[in-house]
Amino acid sequence: MKDYLATVVKNERIAENIYEITFQTEEDVPVRAGQFGDISVGGTHLLRRPIAICKAEGNLVTYCYQIKGEGTQKLKTVRAGEQLNVLMPLGNGFFVEEKEQKVALVGGGVGVFPLISVLRAYGKEKEISAYIGYRNKDAVCGVDEFEKATKFVGVTDDGSWGEKMNSVQAFAKDLQAGNRPDVVLACGPTPMLRALKRLVEEEKLACYVSLEERMGCGIGACLVCVCNLTNGARARVCKDGPVFNVNDVAL
Amino acid sequence: MANLSVKICGVTLKNPVIGASGTFGFGREFNELYDIGTLGGVSTKGLTLEPRFGNPVPRIAESRGVILNAVGLQNPGVEHFIEHDLEWLKNTGTCVIANVAGKTLDDYYQICAKLDGKVDMIELNISCPNVKSGGMAFGIKPDTVEEVTRYAKNGAKNTPLIVKLSPNVESIAENARRAELGGADCVSLINTLTGMAIDIERRRPIIANNTGGVSGAGVKPIAVRMVYEVAQAVKIPVIGMGGITCAEDAIEFLMAGASAVQVGTANFTDPFAMPKIIQGLHTWCDKHGVADVNELVGTLQLNEK
Repeated sequence: MKDYLATVVKNERIAENIYEITFQTEEDVPVRAGQFGDISVGGTHLLRRPIAICKAEGNLVTYCYQIKGEGTQKLKTVRAGEQLNVLMPLGNGFFVEEKEQKVALVGGGVGVFPLISVLRAYGKEKEISAYIGYRNKDAVCGVDEFEKATKFVGVTDDGSWGEKMNSVQAFAKDLQAGNRPDVVLACGPTPMLRALKRLVEEEKLACYVSLEERMGCGIGACLVCVCNLTNGARARVCKDGPVFNVNDVAL
Repeated sequence: MANLSVKICGVTLKNPVIGASGTFGFGREFNELYDIGTLGGVSTKGLTLEPRFGNPVPRIAESRGVILNAVGLQNPGVEHFIEHDLEWLKNTGTCVIANVAGKTLDDYYQICAKLDGKVDMIELNISCPNVKSGGMAFGIKPDTVEEVTRYAKNGAKNTPLIVKLSPNVESIAENARRAELGGADCVSLINTLTGMAIDIERRRPIIANNTGGVSGAGVKPIAVRMVYEVAQAVKIPVIGMGGITCAEDAIEFLMAGASAVQVGTANFTDPFAMPKIIQGLHTWCDKHGVADVNELVGTLQLNEK
């Protein structure tokens, strides 16, 4: 990890309330799939914004973010050529083992973006099926990336694009049809992850989930962003995660 | 280059810049970014006799110019710290300040006794606003401030004792005097101010604990005023903190009467905040012909009214 003074190359809207920002750094950033960065938006905002890395190639790092509050509103107004401090890469990321050939990606909402980084990292060597859920057709984004997967099932909550179901239901349906992965990698809202946890427990599938929590330092020092583990202990989402074995976390 | 080293209660710090408790863990994470041995000191995450899990999440919120937190003293317990982190932290070369909290007077005695002689200084947290049993019960009334200090000092016989004062009180200067009377070797201030931030869509406080401790740039003027008042009230050294973001902020605290400063929230905004403050102190002193940073302490002159 390093604090980069990164130059914005582009920052544009890609779906309703979703923006994509690409930074250029002086040197290459060694990013693993599923890691995140802590972006300083400056001004009266004392906390940085922890956001998952969507794509990283050499010295270009792309993040996608949802407009949620004043900080992301401000980030939205940043123009190409401006510089921001970005502390990255942070967290552990997703690992896909050698023996895990068939990978299922299950994502919902802004949770779809770290999964794009998995697809980019492992797309060539693995057989990847992506089950991606959006709220409605206006929220659909990243499709050009997911279409590069071996199989892509895109769905919406209201059926305005793709079938009307959520990403876990889409995954379950394909599972019943016999498409069984060696490992499931997921990111999305907690209710979605909870449903997925039940499913993979029943099906006895290996599964890793990327969690989200309000953070302080982003590097593991302040103990702000903890999650509960099934063994009763607490782990730091930023440092011990954000990716956890689904069996280890209490959702 | 100006001399930045300061001596507090017989302990020499390389410079007057200390990482504030709760923002810096035991130093390991920030040491991945820079050598924390270059800092004047590190005040550890608040330690208790037993391990604590802390409060539910969310534990943090932001408001313009400040943040609110309610971590709730999550820590692995003092024994774990002594066994796993203390030696490492000492070896970095920074001054080790163990921040401690307890539920009872005897807790404070015991935890200080356990750390006595093992750390450079002990900082008494009697002002954590986020847990019922985080010492706040002792930190509000002057009588209990004096009493808990006496118990703690009895444990910390051979280690300088810093009492960290709460700003959520009637008179912080009076509490500082009473800490001094109870045997404190030093006082530090301010701990966070109790506050609340509301998510208006959910009509609920953002932080699970409902209220949290307010810190960051926005609290600085309050902290400077309180440091000035306390420095006037006691003879023991004062460590100032509250919203320090840059060297100029640190100098305000020194002029108001602090012998050293702690930096907390700024570490979140910029993980290199403290090395930059130290560098900035050098630059400022050189530019102003100040040969020794100690020359600045307590040099504030009030306007005539």
